Amino acid sequence: MIAVRGLQVSKSYGHFQVLRDLSFEIATGECYALFGPNGSGKTTLLRILATLHRPSTGRFEIMGHDGVTEREAVRSNLLLLAHGSYLYDELNAVENLRFAMAMRGASPTDRQIKLALDHAGIGAFADMKIRQFSAGMKKRLALAKAVLVRPQVLLLDEPYTSLDEAGMGMMNRFIRDIVKEGAAVLMTTHDRAKSAEVAHRAGVLSKDVLRPLTLDDLRTNDLF
Amino acid sequence: MIFFRVIQWVVWKDLISEVRSRETISSMFFFALIVILVFSFSFSMDQQAARELISGIIWVAFAFTGIIGLGKSFSAELQNDCLEFLQMSPAPKGAVYLGKVAANVVFMVTVEVILFPMFVIFFNLDVVEELPLLLLIFLLGTLGLSTVGTLFSAMTVQIRAREVMLPILLLPLAVPVMIAAVEATRGALNGNPMALYRHWLELLAVFDVVFTVVSFWAFEFIMDS
Amino acid sequence: MIHAAIKQVQRYKGWFGTAGGMCIIAGVYLGLVGSPPDYYQGEVVRIMYVHVPLAHTSLLGYSVLFASSLWYLWKRDPIVDNMCHAAASLSAFFTAGALLTGSIWAKPTWNTWWTWDARLVSFAVLFLILTGYLMLRTFIDDPEREARFAAVLAIVGFVDLPIIHFSVEWWRTLHQPLSISMRGVSISKDLLVPLIIMGIGFSVLFFYMLMVRTQMLYLANLLNAKKGRLLSHAHLSKAEP
Repeated sequence: MIAVRGLQVSKSYGHFQVLRDLSFEIATGECYALFGPNGSGKTTLLRILATLHRPSTGRFEIMGHDGVTEREAVRSNLLLLAHGSYLYDELNAVENLRFAMAMRGASPTDRQIKLALDHAGIGAFADMKIRQFSAGMKKRLALAKAVLVRPQVLLLDEPYTSLDEAGMGMMNRFIRDIVKEGAAVLMTTHDRAKSAEVAHRAGVLSKDVLRPLTLDDLRTNDLF
Repeated sequence: MIFFRVIQWVVWKDLISEVRSRETISSMFFFALIVILVFSFSFSMDQQAARELISGIIWVAFAFTGIIGLGKSFSAELQNDCLEFLQMSPAPKGAVYLGKVAANVVFMVTVEVILFPMFVIFFNLDVVEELPLLLLIFLLGTLGLSTVGTLFSAMTVQIRAREVMLPILLLPLAVPVMIAAVEATRGALNGNPMALYRHWLELLAVFDVVFTVVSFWAFEFIMDS
Repeated sequence: MIHAAIKQVQRYKGWFGTAGGMCIIAGVYLGLVGSPPDYYQGEVVRIMYVHVPLAHTSLLGYSVLFASSLWYLWKRDPIVDNMCHAAASLSAFFTAGALLTGSIWAKPTWNTWWTWDARLVSFAVLFLILTGYLMLRTFIDDPEREARFAAVLAIVGFVDLPIIHFSVEWWRTLHQPLSISMRGVSISKDLLVPLIIMGIGFSVLFFYMLMVRTQMLYLANLLNAKKGRLLSHAHLSKAEP
């Protein structure tokens, strides 16, 4: 089924139009890599799908739920990993995970949390306050959260930044795992090589037009 | 139920963060001390004048100190973009609101309870019998400031000039709370019979209920576009 | 559909303007020339013909602001938001007028520029709420957020108005003898007719000004949008390699 569907989504900020009449579909079990120059609106599109902003015109659906009128349903199916780590500095890793899950109405067991932290390679830092985490560790903690949540739709805004080789490998492994379980993944990225390892489809958002790419395109040099 | 769990977790998170960092309460407390000192310099007060003015001074101190706490309530969410996290969260926004109000009331009342003995000492007040009543007045008044204050804190944290806009928006709307709290405090401190000033307490209670409901409803519009 | 309805009403704004103007002229004539000076307060009482309608119209304005704000949150139509903004500016203007005329009345009557009369204090708070609203709007860049936040502020403020009024009333009865109050002004029948005419005139005038101002804001937004579309085209075509 179609996990993410956009129907003529447009977004203007005051008098500046960022997105114009975008229509697209991403099916369950599919990973879509979205490229585009800076300022092309990739992040804006992701944030609209994450229900942070309303589209100026047009609609979108997440797992069949309308993005504006059925927000709570959309939010329980969706997870956004973006630049902000959404972590509280005074809490440690375990507490942050518990809080995030409680806000989704879930109470994971200690074992599940430990497994998620180990999976992301930060099991040893479970009791460390986030204040002391590096950027890379925060990204891995965000990955641990995704492991616990296992959303139906995963939105990733430049997931490979701040991650070392091992971290990027972990990220791709996770993406492959949840895609196999039937989740849909939409990622914005500039990293062609890494995303080619997991993406089923790709596209470029440039000058308001979403141009589909073949996976071969990802390996050539000139995208825009 | 998810609703009550969310409230519990929000309160726990705010309280624990404060216990570990001690940022908010210490800044509120020292600010209040400064306010008290400035007032005592500004009014060269004999006993008579002090009795007249003291309830007003107490609540001015509580209000401005409270505004600091209310502001921090949501500016603390700006770290690591946590405000966005709350916006995207499937948790019911009303529960987040109530949790924030509860945490704010705890912070403000804590500071007030530490501060009040200072007032008693500096201004030589005689209060022992009325302590529980005073505590009730502090609670009702603080809740009044928190209901609207938490809503406006969430609003102003997302705009420019946030530190100045919170008091500008809050204080005119909080006029009934200030008037009622000051009059009730004055009645209690002067040892007047309660019948004389209970209508102020009732006004505070009405304000609290009305604005908890209204802000609970309005919070969603502030967090969701 | 909202646009069509509003455009229909806008066509009649000329009538509103004329009617309002005529009422006010009639009211001013009757008030200044046609009615006798008050026994106790002399000529000064004539300022009531302006003060009272200003006060009523400012409350009318806030009621319009309240209703439009609810309407905006429900339908999210930008033109409704324009109407909110217009209603708030006008209401602030009328409130300031009411405060000024109240002050002008107080000086010769009680020899003080400001009396802590309950109504004046309530209007002073109302003025602060409205200016807070207008300030809030200037500090937000995103128009959608601006409209939404302003609507919430207007609604919360409106619910508070009666509570503010009661608390101030009780406070004044506690701390000040009733004599220094606008309540003292009794209205004889001669004064009532011009007062009512002025009241109607100001209200009608308010609606006229509301329509004009809403249209101004709406057109300004349209202009910005067109400018923006031109700008985005220019921006995008410049990005062409």
